[in-house]
Amino acid sequence: MALLETDGLVKEFGGLVATDDVNLTVNEDERVSIIGPNGAGKSTLINLITRRLDPTEGDIRFKGESIVKMEPHEVVQRGVSKSFQTASIFPDLTVRENAEIAALAAERGSFGFDFLTHRRKLHGVHEVAADTLDAVGLLDRAETPAEDLPYGDKRRLEIGIALASEPDLLLMDEPTAGMSPEETRSTVDLIEEVKERMGLTFVLVEHDMEIVFSISDRIVVLNRGRVIAEGTPDEIRGDEQVQEAYLGGVEL
Amino acid sequence: MSDETQDATAQGAAPSEGVAEKEGFAGYELDTAREPVVVGATALFVLVFPYVFARMPVVSGILQGYQGLATLMLIWGIFALGFDLLLGYTGLLSFGHAAFWGGSAYAAGVFSQFAAESLGFEAGPVIIVVVGTLFAVLLAWGLGFLSLRRGGIYFSILTLAFAQMMFYLSSAPLSGITGGENGFTAVTVGHLFGVFELESELPSVLGTLMGTWLYAFVGLMTVVSVAVAYRILNSPYGMVFRAIRENEQRTEFVGLNVWRYKLMSFVISGAFAGVAGSLFTIHGNYVPLQSLYWTESGEIVIMAVLGGAGSLFGPMLGAGIYLYFENIVSGVRDLTVPFTDIVLLQGFGEYWHLLLGVLFVLVVWFFPRGIWGLFQDLRNRVTGGDSAAETGGER
Ligand SMILES: Nc1ncnc2c1ncn2[C@@H]1O[C@H](COP(=O)(O)OP(=O)(O)O)[C@@H](O)[C@H]1O
Ligand SMILES: [Mg+2]
Repeated sequence: MALLETDGLVKEFGGLVATDDVNLTVNEDERVSIIGPNGAGKSTLINLITRRLDPTEGDIRFKGESIVKMEPHEVVQRGVSKSFQTASIFPDLTVRENAEIAALAAERGSFGFDFLTHRRKLHGVHEVAADTLDAVGLLDRAETPAEDLPYGDKRRLEIGIALASEPDLLLMDEPTAGMSPEETRSTVDLIEEVKERMGLTFVLVEHDMEIVFSISDRIVVLNRGRVIAEGTPDEIRGDEQVQEAYLGGVEL
Repeated sequence: MSDETQDATAQGAAPSEGVAEKEGFAGYELDTAREPVVVGATALFVLVFPYVFARMPVVSGILQGYQGLATLMLIWGIFALGFDLLLGYTGLLSFGHAAFWGGSAYAAGVFSQFAAESLGFEAGPVIIVVVGTLFAVLLAWGLGFLSLRRGGIYFSILTLAFAQMMFYLSSAPLSGITGGENGFTAVTVGHLFGVFELESELPSVLGTLMGTWLYAFVGLMTVVSVAVAYRILNSPYGMVFRAIRENEQRTEFVGLNVWRYKLMSFVISGAFAGVAGSLFTIHGNYVPLQSLYWTESGEIVIMAVLGGAGSLFGPMLGAGIYLYFENIVSGVRDLTVPFTDIVLLQGFGEYWHLLLGVLFVLVVWFFPRGIWGLFQDLRNRVTGGDSAAETGGER
């Protein structure tokens, strides 16, 4: 079943067409990677899906329902969550609170009048947050202020925040950008583990081909806003157009 | 307001493990188990403050305090407490809170007149506070709805513009109701619970400590306000407010309706301003037009930042210090060498604005977390970094 569908999606910045008639389908339990050279429009596509950007044309459907008129938080409430390209966390809050914020939204909705309810009573929230922190390996640092984490751990926390919203579809924009090789490896392990444990559907934007080919069911290649190829890792490896347009000199 | 110190001492005495890693935390008083301590300490402070400030031998002589000022300090303290939920915790700088302070003061006054002249009863302080606060809440809902359409500096300017509109409205077009330039003079406040005259002395030792029934009522409202504010900070709202302050976009992208939470922060701070504004009317039996003027909006910002925005008690402390300068320091004629008659500076009190300004600049430069933050740092140094003001003590 199609979880996410984009239909003739176009995004223009002034004269620049950043997303050009993209028809993308992501099925339930599928792991899709989006690759393409710098400026191909990968981040723009992700931002359109999360409603950070308004499309110029076209439709986006999640679980069959159009989401282009919704606010970002409504899209998240329906089950689309995003991990940001830079570590977008809450620096002054503790690691635990970072996860709890997301868990709060997942467990109690986008808004409530519970300003006289003590946090101590939010057992569901505590559980989800603790489970998520455990999953991303940060539970033992739960009481640390998030800003004191090393960069790699901040990125893990960033992914943790996205997971704590209990999404059905997780969008990850270059989760390993700026990481050391060891941090990259542990993040890939983390994504693999999440894939196993939570059976999550995800869309991954990644420039590291090794990672892309090892964890994707399907790869979508973007160039200048257009989908120029789509297929299994093996198909993409053998695709000449992709070789030319993008993978050029890269050893596969 | 000395709970911090007490608590730290108690913890310091017990062997505490795993404390070191908590060191250096920003220090927002959010510990879950500390509610009774915080509320109890506030109550204790409220109980003895007027005595120490206005009547205690030696101390009151040095402080030069008086009963009415003690009451006023608590009233502004409530205002500052609520304002800080918006400024310090949610990160929204309103320059128009005079609208809620002055607006509720007028609402309280006009209601008391209406009750006395048209309904035929003298409204007691409780109902006056309820009416004034309701007015402030509704007003905050409306103005927040309009002002929060824009972010950052534009939000601040919108709040300022709306508050100034209120000022001009009550100075001329509505002067038939508000008394215009002369202020509102027809305040008629009945007895507390229909029994106790507000200006009369409390019985026995309570009278020595707190003085009047008026103070006792204001003190009770202060304790309730602190309890409610502290509970809000410990509720999901407290966490969401700080998340918005830290990273508004991310808060929206975890699935929270940032717009509605911001509006609630604005309305809640308006409610505290409403309680304070109503008490101000009851306290002074008069509403000056000044209470809606933009300088009042500026004063509350200064109080909050001076005392320490983003802490529970900091802004209340800031309110106290501000009023102390405005009312006591300003009245000091000549600065003398203590316990002698040697005059150092004549007409010293006239410089109170300047002095306060210098203090403010120094605090912002050297102690960005305000005077309360400075106290916390000093205490941490003394107790070896044991920060009792911590999140996640007991879950
Ligand atoms: N907010 C924006 N305003 C104008 N142009 C933009 C904006 N965001 C992205 N672009 C342009 O759109 C194109 C696609 O950008 P992006 O989606 O970030 O690419 P990628 O993530 O694949 O590197 C680039 O040419 C970029 O300069
Ligand atoms: Mg990008």
